[in-house]
Amino acid sequence: MAIVYATMRLSEVVEEHPSLIPVINRFGIRLGLGDKSVRTLCEEHALDTDFLLTILNTYLNEEYFPEKKLQTFHISLLIDYLTKTNQDYLRYQLPNIERHLGYFIQQSPQGNQSLALLGRFFASFKAKLIARIQEDEERRFPYCHQLMKGHLSSELAKGPQQPTDHPTDDPIEALLEDLKSIMVKHLTGAFDDNLCYAVLFAICSLEKDIKQHNRIRYRILLPMITSMEQSCAETRR
Amino acid sequence: MRRNKKIALILKDTLRSCGLQSLLVDYFQPVEISPFPTLEALQANGMENFDYYFTEAEPFAEGADYFLPRRNKTIVVVSHSEATHSGNTLQRLATDLTPEQLIEQLREIFEATPQPEFEGNKELSTREIDVLQLVAKGITNKEIADKLNISLNTVLTHRKNITTKLGIKTVSGLTFYAIMNGFLSGDEF
Repeated sequence: MAIVYATMRLSEVVEEHPSLIPVINRFGIRLGLGDKSVRTLCEEHALDTDFLLTILNTYLNEEYFPEKKLQTFHISLLIDYLTKTNQDYLRYQLPNIERHLGYFIQQSPQGNQSLALLGRFFASFKAKLIARIQEDEERRFPYCHQLMKGHLSSELAKGPQQPTDHPTDDPIEALLEDLKSIMVKHLTGAFDDNLCYAVLFAICSLEKDIKQHNRIRYRILLPMITSMEQSCAETRR
Repeated sequence: MRRNKKIALILKDTLRSCGLQSLLVDYFQPVEISPFPTLEALQANGMENFDYYFTEAEPFAEGADYFLPRRNKTIVVVSHSEATHSGNTLQRLATDLTPEQLIEQLREIFEATPQPEFEGNKELSTREIDVLQLVAKGITNKEIADKLNISLNTVLTHRKNITTKLGIKTVSGLTFYAIMNGFLSGDEF
């Protein structure tokens, strides 16, 4: 457990936990942090300090997930954060894995069919993730914005139901787990060990990030949507 | 697939419970820990089938009916490593030791009771390969049952066993495995 609080120097936190770099980037905070505290940086970037801290702490600590507290934040903050994580996947994380994977396949001895297949497996994962992001941007998140204004719009209805009861059954997470398991357990033939590690490392970072994203999505956002729908329906009556 | 060690802590002393939790989380992943102040709290929760129960002498004595059938999964946390314990062979964890010694004790406990893991043949059976081929082609469980002339339940059992043996659960992953091992031609991916 490592809890970050407002008066800590963000530079020290980030040196200790570099996996937070993409997270602070999503909030518009970039490296070159100097000795500024989390609070100062939040003020400079017009961010809600409490929200940033909660996101950083849930990101760092798997066991720490204050549902009640997260549900007190304005839903637009959550949607904004999820939108930015989606953008990060599209712009950086997916291309990053692809780059490593492409190089891995290219640099390994010719004729290893399992690597080409791995490339295709990754492509099918990528397609699924991109489809979910599109669904978020075109329907799911606009629907939330409508709800915030008190409109219960049927055109943008939620779309396919999310597995709220069993967040571990999330299809995106399942594919990533399999991708990892396939590489760790079932790779055959000749391949470059070091590049293989680079690919797996990139996959594991994305997996960790998506788990955090999904936790917010299924356990915070969905219950908020449901309760907003109820209150919209009640005012209508 | 990782299998969590499911651990119940029945410890009245919160600090002791937190301390043990943090050692387990830091050094013995993957773990799934459920802390309870009393045995009643555990029973009220309705959770069952833990791999390990860490408790103290007092709740152990009071809940003997509960713990005795689970004695080989039960570890009694005691304050003094030197104290003699008349004759009984319960596993103990003494707390008056250095952190390294505590970790060593825990390691011995986990080594002594190996996790139930999937034993036996990891190779797929002929029938499982039949099922795998059809799953990989994107055919539904119901249709697989019809094609192979077996019940839907049997198909589900085969699928569960395949996933356990291979550590792969999605259709895409299974397809990958089927092609890589020549159970399916690559054109069908």
